[in-house]
Amino acid sequence: MERREFLKSTCTLCLLAASGISATALSSCASIPIYETTVHNDTLVVPVNLFSKQTIQIVRGSDLEYDIALERRTDGTYRALLMECTHAHNPLTFTGNGFFCPLHGSRFDENGEVTHGPASMPLAELRTQTEENDVVIMLY
Amino acid sequence: MNRAKYFAFLVLSLLPLEPITLAEGVYCAAGDSTNTKSSAQPTTSIGGYGNAFYQRDVDNKTAMMDLERVVLFVGHEFSSRTSFFSELEMEDAKVSGGEDGGEISFEQAYLQIRIDPTHSISAGLFLPRIGILNENHLPTEFNGNERNQVETFIIPSTWRELGIGFYGSLSSVPASYSIALVNGLSSAMFEHGSGIREGRFEGRNASANNLALTGSMRFFLQNTVIGVSGYYGGSVGLSPRQADSLQLESGIFGTPVIVGESHLEYESEGFNLKVLGTTVSIPKASDINRAYANNTPLLEYGAYLEIGCDLFQNIYRVAGQQLIAFLRYETLDMNAEIPSNGILDGTLKQRHIVCGLNYLPMNNVVVKVDVRFAHTGNQNPALILNPSPVAVPYNVDNTFFNLGLGFSF
Repeated sequence: MERREFLKSTCTLCLLAASGISATALSSCASIPIYETTVHNDTLVVPVNLFSKQTIQIVRGSDLEYDIALERRTDGTYRALLMECTHAHNPLTFTGNGFFCPLHGSRFDENGEVTHGPASMPLAELRTQTEENDVVIMLY
Repeated sequence: MNRAKYFAFLVLSLLPLEPITLAEGVYCAAGDSTNTKSSAQPTTSIGGYGNAFYQRDVDNKTAMMDLERVVLFVGHEFSSRTSFFSELEMEDAKVSGGEDGGEISFEQAYLQIRIDPTHSISAGLFLPRIGILNENHLPTEFNGNERNQVETFIIPSTWRELGIGFYGSLSSVPASYSIALVNGLSSAMFEHGSGIREGRFEGRNASANNLALTGSMRFFLQNTVIGVSGYYGGSVGLSPRQADSLQLESGIFGTPVIVGESHLEYESEGFNLKVLGTTVSIPKASDINRAYANNTPLLEYGAYLEIGCDLFQNIYRVAGQQLIAFLRYETLDMNAEIPSNGILDGTLKQRHIVCGLNYLPMNNVVVKVDVRFAHTGNQNPALILNPSPVAVPYNVDNTFFNLGLGFSF
């Protein structure tokens, strides 16, 4: 077999394997819901029933620079993490069990703690309170 | 413009037009600002990184030390939607007029316009998303003193070009993507032995007759990242008349260079795995050789596998510090296939085994020690035009001992 053909077939095989792994893994991976809402009096209101099927919800407020990862904890309380990298203020990508910054490669775990620099500060946590059927995220 | 003036221009161009006061929110990059609102005041962030190392060439019994690079990162947020990012790099500590060595350059300088929190446009000098190292190249984030050979010579990191890029994330699956249009390479500047590396313009007087398209997809699967990327670009920026006279195909994608790459990263509880494979194809290498006699190959490839383990997390339990033991295997060939008018150089088919330790006494400060065992093919006597009568025989096996420091903030 010619070297070029060998490389082509090897690369094709690798890409097929990678896409196969991706497809399998992605199919088992729940989609990341984004809940879009508007800011009222420096607060965001998120319905509790969004958490009937998942424990984490990405919240996007109108005119906000960064998304917010809102998690329902096992004790029924909520934690809101601002998806802003604490290194250079770049928006973060949710990875399923943490956050990744594409700008310099910082990683944070699901609690917002740094697992990989250059960021050295944990993600900012916003205050929340539960009101009847809603979770209110305070932006101040 | 001489180098001193050029440097002064670069420094001045970094300075804000108006003095920054604390009221405007100047803070260190690692600050704890929580600008959630679009009405946030303009802010400037400062960061940087650098590394220095000692290298002993064991077989040739030589040694060197170098402050390899110090980079100053400056970012400025004009508004919630518009930001500026830059990295100004000084290599080898000193640049002196009329002397070789040392380099001052912008590694990045671009404006980013955010459409929403997960979509943005970048315009200016930026690093296309190709491979692992090109975007994320802080010395505290990669193992070993030297950047890996595959992403230095096959993917010529740090590969920055001028252009415009669109970056986004999918909402249906944990994945991000990018697509960018940048200036192309110059095949006239390709040099034998360094792949396409010397063909980069890096923002300086780039020809815009030829352009390149590059795109990437990256999937996040909890602790695993799977990425694929590609590059297709022209390498002849001459006018049609000049190109015709050299019998080269001109145009936007004329005499193309095609790069493909895929990688996988896994990180969990102190264990780290990286796998990357890449190829570079230059179908009209024969035309380039006829015009410029630079021994351009038809095909290059490279791949590496690296495993790392934080001993302080998994064995000795030391809080706040890391001791990463790693092993990397690399294979690459910068002339895997050559055209009929090329000359095969066995030394460009290489294998490297690197093992070592990274000690981080705190986040973002690292002491590195490693050994690289290099193996190449044989030298081709046809490539030695004027052999020295006192030249020592070429060693196909060589060992390099490296000791160094790195930081980022």
